[in-house]
Amino acid sequence: MNIAVLSCIHGNLEALEAVLREIDQQDVDQIYCLGDLVGYGPYPNEVVARIRALNIPTCQGCWDEDIVDGLNACDCSYPSLLAETRGHRAHEWTNREVTLETRTYLASLPLILQQENLCFVHGSPHSQHEYLLPDTSAFVALERVLFTGADTLFCGHTHIPYVRHLENSHLTLKVASPSTQSPTYSSNTPSSLKHIINAGSVGEPRHGRPNATYVIYNTDAQQVKLREVEYDFTKTCAAILEKGLPAIFAWRLSKGLEYAEKADDPTHVCER
Amino acid sequence: MITVVAGPCGAGKTTWILQELAQMPTPAVYVTPGVGTVPIDATRVTARFPKVEIFHRQPETELLQRLSAGIPVYFELGFQLETDIPLLENRPHRRVALVAQENRDAGWQLWANAVIQGNQSTLDLQAAQMWRAPLSGQVFDPPSLDTFWQELTQGAYGEVHRAKGIFELADGQAFHFDFVNSLPGSAYTELNLPRWVQGRPNRFSGIEVVGQGLDEGAIATTLKDCYLSDSLLASYQASLQDSHSLEVA
Repeated sequence: MNIAVLSCIHGNLEALEAVLREIDQQDVDQIYCLGDLVGYGPYPNEVVARIRALNIPTCQGCWDEDIVDGLNACDCSYPSLLAETRGHRAHEWTNREVTLETRTYLASLPLILQQENLCFVHGSPHSQHEYLLPDTSAFVALERVLFTGADTLFCGHTHIPYVRHLENSHLTLKVASPSTQSPTYSSNTPSSLKHIINAGSVGEPRHGRPNATYVIYNTDAQQVKLREVEYDFTKTCAAILEKGLPAIFAWRLSKGLEYAEKADDPTHVCER
Repeated sequence: MITVVAGPCGAGKTTWILQELAQMPTPAVYVTPGVGTVPIDATRVTARFPKVEIFHRQPETELLQRLSAGIPVYFELGFQLETDIPLLENRPHRRVALVAQENRDAGWQLWANAVIQGNQSTLDLQAAQMWRAPLSGQVFDPPSLDTFWQELTQGAYGEVHRAKGIFELADGQAFHFDFVNSLPGSAYTELNLPRWVQGRPNRFSGIEVVGQGLDEGAIATTLKDCYLSDSLLASYQASLQDSHSLEVA
């Protein structure tokens, strides 16, 4: 069975349509979406309508949560004052733009989707705001996968796709104690190999090119394809300007630099 | 002796003068006309050579006094200025042009006593735009400033040929940022100035951008988004003082 996994569309309808057209040609049985349907981009309602129309199982992203609950991000979400200011401007614009129907749908999204031994989240199983980066400590990364009970965890949020194999899935935890007998906790996992697959971003890439990225995964062969799709990003850039979003969003999109900024601390683990 | 240094935008005039100053005993005089309230190069020279006297708005008579005392004078002409200077008429001086091979023409050869290899300039003087802003008293959030500078030099606010600035950072350091579009990357140099860890710095900082089609409003607005507020600055400085106290203890 082939599945396609999309993430971080961010109101970029042009990019979403291009990815859906490519998926149509890829013998895909099921599409999953990891959230962040809205935020920064010019077509939040249209993107939500398209995902709903296709009945794509979707989990809630950090932007989807913030539009529903109001800005409630943890301090680690913005790597700089400039990113925070831009994030707030994008939030105010999106908050004015989204319809009640869109907001209601975003509120209804689950935080985690599970399909047999596959798990789908936006950031991590602990929070939509937490970054699982390629160099997040192996201990933390493995804990996040084990928490779900799945063998393969699909995530997004970083806007850069990657595949990570966690080979040492036997966790031994020693707890220091004043007593002479320190307890030891062990966890054996059914499979010796766990995987984290990051789907990148359809609508707001940060790999230095404007192309949309997503993932195709073959569940039988456990084969991963990180896909990159060219689309007419100049249409999205023009819409950003027409709709009154900051012009710098269009420039960053055209460079594949994401509208905000990269999280500065790759080892940071959000404790929100 | 007066040395007049000229050349296209970003040729490396100040850098050459700094190299000259490093090889001679002080005192010396550095003159930068036409910089108004944004004396970036003069501040850079002062930070490196505190005993070099800076002239950019003083009366001509004071400069003539230094000359008659035999103090060497370096006269840097910005690319936008005329090379004919009334003060220099009938006074012995040497003319140095910093020019890349690609930018050499008969004009520079005729004007200069010595032509030295400089950085290439692709600036179209007819369409050139220069934007300057004093930033004294403003302190920057370092990652915000980094993002702004990357965007500026990569063309987010228009085609930038040359950008330089002196910025105060949250940890009390002042940095010189330097970008020339014919050279790879930007140079970031910490200025040899005391760390300013109490309140807003009462010394010069500022920015100069030269290019074409610059969106000056967007540059100014983005810069403002990188400023630390009074409360954030106080918080940074309090934590700096705490860490300093811990180190001393």
